[in-house]
Amino acid sequence: MSALSAVVYREAKIRATNFTFIFWDLFFPLLYMLVFGVGINTALGAPTGLGNVNYNEFFLAGILAMASFAIASNTSWSFFLDRDNGIFYEMLTYPMSRSEYLLGKVIFNVCIAVLQAALTLVVGRLLLGIRVDWQKLPLLFAGMAIGTAGWFFFYAIFALRIKRNDIFNSVTSVFYFVFMFASSMFYPLEPLPAWFRRTALLNPITWEIDWLRFTSIGLGNFHVILLEGAAFMAFALACFVYAVRCLQRQE
Amino acid sequence: MSEFALEIENLVKVYAARGKAPVRAVDGMSFRAPQGIIFGLLGPNGAGKSTILRVLTTLTRPTEGSARILGYDVVKKPVEVRKRISSVIQETAVELFLSVRDNLLTYARFQGLDKATATRRANALIEEFQLGAEMDRKVQDLSGGFRRRVQVAKVFMVQTPVLFLDEFSTGMDPILKRQVMNLLRAEVEKGRTIILTTQVLSEAEELCDDILIINKGKQIAHGDLNALKLLSQGVYEITLAYDRLPETIQAEIAALTPIRATVEANTVDLTLKIEESRVMDIVSALSRNRHILRVEVRGASLEDIFLELTTRQGKEQA
Repeated sequence: MSALSAVVYREAKIRATNFTFIFWDLFFPLLYMLVFGVGINTALGAPTGLGNVNYNEFFLAGILAMASFAIASNTSWSFFLDRDNGIFYEMLTYPMSRSEYLLGKVIFNVCIAVLQAALTLVVGRLLLGIRVDWQKLPLLFAGMAIGTAGWFFFYAIFALRIKRNDIFNSVTSVFYFVFMFASSMFYPLEPLPAWFRRTALLNPITWEIDWLRFTSIGLGNFHVILLEGAAFMAFALACFVYAVRCLQRQE
Repeated sequence: MSEFALEIENLVKVYAARGKAPVRAVDGMSFRAPQGIIFGLLGPNGAGKSTILRVLTTLTRPTEGSARILGYDVVKKPVEVRKRISSVIQETAVELFLSVRDNLLTYARFQGLDKATATRRANALIEEFQLGAEMDRKVQDLSGGFRRRVQVAKVFMVQTPVLFLDEFSTGMDPILKRQVMNLLRAEVEKGRTIILTTQVLSEAEELCDDILIINKGKQIAHGDLNALKLLSQGVYEITLAYDRLPETIQAEIAALTPIRATVEANTVDLTLKIEESRVMDIVSALSRNRHILRVEVRGASLEDIFLELTTRQGKEQA
């Protein structure tokens, strides 16, 4: 427990030295929603086939998933920074297991992600009139936490296996494009071609978005969401196990 | 708990990179070090010193063989090992975005120190390492030497029984280095075991109670300084200072086939492996008909032993 709290303390200390970063972490989804969401909503209105759900409401879950994806990616990039500073290898000799190190790193960022989600929901409700299903809020926060952790473990695998940060940056750019656009983040999947829909349904970020959409505005089929939630949990767990293995093989 | 701070048996570490020939960095080494001493691991670049330290500090897994710290196997019980060690790795390792003070306090947190103790020790070390003026500055704004100071200071925050230092004095000025060496001695008197690697042989000569000399992943010699000197009997250092350097001196030196020879300004330093009875003959041959300002004849230093042993191994392998 003390090892976990030490890693969380370290992450918080480092983050606290950069207020721009904190500001961006907390307000990035909100700004995205206010600029991009409002623009699309005004120009194109409600997405087809979703009844009385407007674009701002539809996009809310997409933004939250995008935020957890971005936090995970940024946090995994810190492995490179730590490697360059030499502290990465020194930390691996500290009295903790590799899994404690990974979990500690993610706990702080999970807290940021949940705080960010809460802020986005409140401001979304107040400024854009988004109809939030407050009763399902704990499930939404759980989705944000597991989503952020899952993506962090996924990215950690690549950050630990790839030694050059320029290659890692290229890989993350591809991931951003593929995962975000081949998903239900920006548009509903129903009107899309069958091949696109099938691809999107295999994409773990779609599972996360569908969960967040159901728990934020109640859109979606409960049984499908449950299945997607379980699939994402399995994805996160597999990534965690493999990331710990990668960490054990650091030389 | 084991009476030995570290035990290594038939340790092999092979680095195998895709598309490259495997490198046998450590090649079947076995040795032990008792608790409460300073154990020196000496060898030229690429000898395998840092690899051994990486295995002992759980940073890398051995390919074959075993390594134990205070009886705990580094592969089977890595967390137990990590609870008992602290280490200064070869590369500078600091939290760049944190202040000097926060570097120390964050390290203390990882080591499970309570806040009051951590603050007290951090204050003492800031003074000891002359970091007072920099304590609230971010480490990224400090020079390389100061960063190394912070890194070394960290390991004195805790009282882990075993301390690893991989070329700790790199980038330190002589005064600070002397202070750290005194601190290390004091830590050993308290019962800590220190395992250090160094290329500065005078440092090892002064500090180490037990020395292992390695080369190309293999053990060449092991023992205290006196035992190593016995291994290298017949090695002498001769220093001759002339009023004017003789023109033929280089040829004369070459004819003696020294282990090492340096000629600087008007002074010649030679390390020779010869019979004791020949020492004075050589001194008089090099002095004949010349005006000599100073003559010194000494027994072998650790540096001489090291060179003699590593050269001997090279010749044997050739």
